[in-house]
Amino acid sequence: MEPFARDYNIEKHDLTNAGTIASLTKRELKKRGLTRDFIKKVTIGIYEAEINVVIHSYGGIAAISITDDSIEVTFTDKGPGINSIDDAMMAGFSTASSLAIENGFGAGMGLPNIKAVSDKMVLTSSKEGTRLYLKFDISSDNYES
Amino acid sequence: MKVKNLLESTDFYLISDNSGIKNEVNGIYSCDLLSHVMGFASEKNILITVLNNINVLGVASLLDLSCVIFSHKIQVNEAIIIKSNELNIPLIGTKLTTSETVISLYNLGVPN
Ligand SMILES: Nc1ncnc2c1ncn2[C@@H]1O[C@H](COP(=O)(O)OP(=O)(O)OP(=O)(O)O)[C@@H](O)[C@H]1O
Ligand SMILES: [Mg+2]
Repeated sequence: MEPFARDYNIEKHDLTNAGTIASLTKRELKKRGLTRDFIKKVTIGIYEAEINVVIHSYGGIAAISITDDSIEVTFTDKGPGINSIDDAMMAGFSTASSLAIENGFGAGMGLPNIKAVSDKMVLTSSKEGTRLYLKFDISSDNYES
Repeated sequence: MKVKNLLESTDFYLISDNSGIKNEVNGIYSCDLLSHVMGFASEKNILITVLNNINVLGVASLLDLSCVIFSHKIQVNEAIIIKSNELNIPLIGTKLTTSETVISLYNLGVPN
């Protein structure tokens, strides 16, 4: 199928629209005939990454590219960055604000979930911003027969 | 088993409209932290929660959950109800606690 590429803006603290990117990607993957299990994996990864930009950063963008062989997503935000990536990757570690906690976030499970579902995850961060690159490989088994 | 079969029990009442009550049910998951739900709930599961929040429906829809049960007589706001009708994910209320809800669903024969 035609490659699919989109850029999305993610606004700081915009919890009413959070999940939109995951939901649009899910729709596109359905159209492309991928299996439910595969779609679920990708949806989890994108949702968690999207929410992190909403609740932990000053806002940013997501760039998504889908081909027949892979899905690549890069989330880039405007800071304040992650203090220790090792800590952040630990299940249960969270610095979520009270706003995030009231909205059901802050279990410290987002990054571990992302790690579990993606085939490649590269997380880099400085005070100027955080960048999260995710890749999901698509094999012929991932298409509905 | 379908969502509407749960409503045969007097423990449960429908908060949203009828859309989605024919959704298939195949298990139970309960948590009030959305990343746990995201990581561990499966398609067609019932989600039991006290998290009175629109993001619950976002997650329920992404995971294709069958319905959301609010335990402890949680009162949900109108925005959540409207969203649930839109997404065809029924909202069910109960005065039971979360653990009592699990037991009641088990007794109704919900597989897990
Ligand atoms: N884009 C980001 N900018 C700044 N800090 C971040 C970002 N993403 C993650 N973090 C930091 O990493 C921590 C762990 O993230 P993770 O997604 O695992 O958990 P959480 O978002 O706190 O809770 P959950 O995802 O379970 O709702 C966060 O609490 C935060 O300190
Ligand atoms: Mg997170």
